[in-house]
Amino acid sequence: MRIIKKTNIPFLSYRWIAMGISLALILGGVGLILFGPGLNLGIDFVGGTQVTVKFQREPDLEALRKTLARLTVGEPVIQRFDEPEKHEILIRVENPKGKEGDFTRPIIDLLNEEFNGSLGDAFDLNLQGVKELTELLIEANPDGIATDDPEALQAHYGPMAEAVMDWRKQHGIFTSVDEIDNVEGLSDAVRAFIKQRSAAGAFSLLGAESVGPAVGADLREKAELAIIFSLLGMLIYIWVRFQLPYGIGAVGALFHDVLITLGALSLTQREINLPTIAALLTLVGYSVNDTVVVFDRVRENLRLKRSQDLQPLMDESINQTLSRTIITSGTTLMVVLSLYIFGGDVINTFAFVLLVGIIVGTYSSVFIASPIALGMTRLMDRYRKRRREGKRRR
Amino acid sequence: MDKKLLWRIALIVVVIGLSLYSLYPPQEKIHLGLDLKGGIHLVLRVNTDDALKAELDDAAQRLVSQAKDKGITLGTATTDLESLSFTVEVPPGTDTAALREVADSYLPEFKVSVGAGKWTFTLPANVARNIRDQAVKQALQTIRNRIDQFGVSEPVIQRQGLESDRVLVQLPGVDDPGRVKELISNTAFLELKEVVAGPAPDRQSLLARLGGTVPPDAEVLTGDRKDMDGRVIGKEYWLVKKAAIITGRELRSARRSQDQYGQPAVSFSLVASAAEKFGKYTESHIGTNMAIVLDHRVMSAPVIRGRISDEGIIEGSFSVQEAEDLSLVLRAGALPASITYLEERTVGPSLGHDSVVRGVRAAIGGLIAVMLFMMIYYKWSGLNANLALTLNIVILMGAMAYFGATLTLPGIAGVILTIGMAVDANVLIFERIREELEVGKTVKSAIEAGFGRAFGTILDANLTTLIAALFLFQFGTGPVKGFAVTLSIGILASMFTAVFVSRTLYMIILAGKDRVESLSI
Repeated sequence: MRIIKKTNIPFLSYRWIAMGISLALILGGVGLILFGPGLNLGIDFVGGTQVTVKFQREPDLEALRKTLARLTVGEPVIQRFDEPEKHEILIRVENPKGKEGDFTRPIIDLLNEEFNGSLGDAFDLNLQGVKELTELLIEANPDGIATDDPEALQAHYGPMAEAVMDWRKQHGIFTSVDEIDNVEGLSDAVRAFIKQRSAAGAFSLLGAESVGPAVGADLREKAELAIIFSLLGMLIYIWVRFQLPYGIGAVGALFHDVLITLGALSLTQREINLPTIAALLTLVGYSVNDTVVVFDRVRENLRLKRSQDLQPLMDESINQTLSRTIITSGTTLMVVLSLYIFGGDVINTFAFVLLVGIIVGTYSSVFIASPIALGMTRLMDRYRKRRREGKRRR
Repeated sequence: MDKKLLWRIALIVVVIGLSLYSLYPPQEKIHLGLDLKGGIHLVLRVNTDDALKAELDDAAQRLVSQAKDKGITLGTATTDLESLSFTVEVPPGTDTAALREVADSYLPEFKVSVGAGKWTFTLPANVARNIRDQAVKQALQTIRNRIDQFGVSEPVIQRQGLESDRVLVQLPGVDDPGRVKELISNTAFLELKEVVAGPAPDRQSLLARLGGTVPPDAEVLTGDRKDMDGRVIGKEYWLVKKAAIITGRELRSARRSQDQYGQPAVSFSLVASAAEKFGKYTESHIGTNMAIVLDHRVMSAPVIRGRISDEGIIEGSFSVQEAEDLSLVLRAGALPASITYLEERTVGPSLGHDSVVRGVRAAIGGLIAVMLFMMIYYKWSGLNANLALTLNIVILMGAMAYFGATLTLPGIAGVILTIGMAVDANVLIFERIREELEVGKTVKSAIEAGFGRAFGTILDANLTTLIAALFLFQFGTGPVKGFAVTLSIGILASMFTAVFVSRTLYMIILAGKDRVESLSI
């Protein structure tokens, strides 16, 4: 089977059109970043506190917003996490300016006060952990184990507490204490005790993240260094393996890819966090990979047909590698699409960056990298020629 | 079959075997990161200024009280953290020679400068650095002790960098950050207790001589059993009196020192009120063991050699490190400096669980799509590539297990991405073979040329991706680092499987046939 028959497309003849389109996209992206909504930097880089909670039933978001406004300096961001029927809410607040410290606790306490006021001193099955439940069981000793050896008690009640919390792990939240009946491995006495002593609070904590300004600044610096050094590393590698114009062409294409992807991130206002940077760097690796395959062919053809002009030779090389370029982009796109669709909310932006990046990266390795390499080669040839002539005249 | 081919097959079998061996059983060998297993990640800063301030205040106090003993009355002392110094008012007519003597003998590490009516005592920078360093070490030790007591498996408690004041704490499987932080900032409880019996390897044998029951005024405590080199080899049980002889509140300081034979030992001093009580007790209990209990765990149980009142020394067959550790434990009653939380990440177990399920689903979805495509597009050769791809995943997982690498959520994404990119090498080779076939080469030479020519390209292309992964690893933290690791291993493994394994598969198919008319590609 063949998707692409032998082609003979004069890609480089379209270079000015392609560059025009790219320039428009880049300027649009940079414009969005600088003058538009900008980049939505996540708490990894600007600091802040982010809490993800799962509610039993849909909470009143407006009331939630009002409650949280009491706590924080800026406007709290409250958004849905994952599918609506899961009732999962992500809350993001700014930390007090320039302050370090523990800012997760107050949020949980506030939510607890707001939603679990009626629980009294009942044991909250949705907020407490294995350790607490084990301690509760050991203290009450519902099975009446006759020993004063704490380890024996631990061995008896520990696994039961774990079973209860495992159930919560599977289902996310207890919607009523009666669900204890579904937990396997509990003795009847323990089951009855838990039902009598505990309550199912309104929410469970899925995750919490708090990054202070010092760590935020640190992470930002590291992300910048990672990007700068990998671009430099690639420039040098391609310079050594090929020639300087090709290195410039490849890195030019990379800037192109990164800028357009950042523009897409600004447009969609997706949050940029550490994994997003990882995705950007992967895209850098992927795009340069694509470009190198083309350059490799150019180098090979240059050896075979020394006399031929560079432009048709580049066109020929791009055409020869075209079906590979499209198939590889296709297979990579398939898996990234799978990640985008099935991977869940946590990894969604990661997949989005790769999705955009692979399309842009494939385009740039054909329409941007080679034209730049061609232009730079011509420029350098002209420069050398002029120097040679200048010498002769003297 | 020729020898070369046999060698290739043998190598492949060995690699598969090693991968499977290091992978088995997968639940134990693949370490899940905090973001998948659920747990707590904390970065905290030890405010070493506190320790420095305490040291300066303490020194000022010491000077004033020692001077007073010598009949010299000094004015008020003020400490200044900025310049690492304290200034004390010296009234006119003071015997300066006597004061200097006091300063020299009690504050030898301070530099003294004499001004008009006041003396300034400055701590040299290297001493200050040492105090800061000690404060972080001590905080680290304290936190470690308390986390141990919490009973977390595979906790990470480490200093971020050699001179840094930051401490990283990672606790897999713990889901209540509030409780952990409470535990960390609480003062640890140090007690010195009378040993009734012990040590014994288990509870039964400990209580055997006492008829199997714990006396009402005693309790059973546990401690680590260590071998000669100080490694923990198990647990040991002690029976100690419930009432403490001395608690941490009555301890003034502790430091590593030497005994009369020059062996490492630990010196400590008690506050005045406790000295008399302790002196009486030790005098009447010479030759018995005294348990040093920190947060209800027996840290050590040295023998009392003689009467100890305000200044004591604990001898034992300590190594220098052990003596250092024990003095740290004794001092660890309270954190030496306050703590500020810089970063805190909690992943609840259900979110981690969800991530694993979804990640695996995405990986399988991607894998099926790619494999189907390869089969349809390259027919039997596609099957060859799919075999190589499957092997690639096995090797990737095996290598991760072998190196003890941690699988994180971005790491799963890395595996998925590897699936997409690993077939790239095969695509490059197959397209090349097709080209060679089109110019009329025979099947055998087309395969030869395809692999040969494509290899250079594959090498160049993959090395550039590896460069990106390398810098990600260098500058990344936590989950991102995990991603860089899986990506790098995946790329290396794909070069082996796509180039070496695929080639071998072709060689097996073509072996023994003189002429092959067509290739399913």
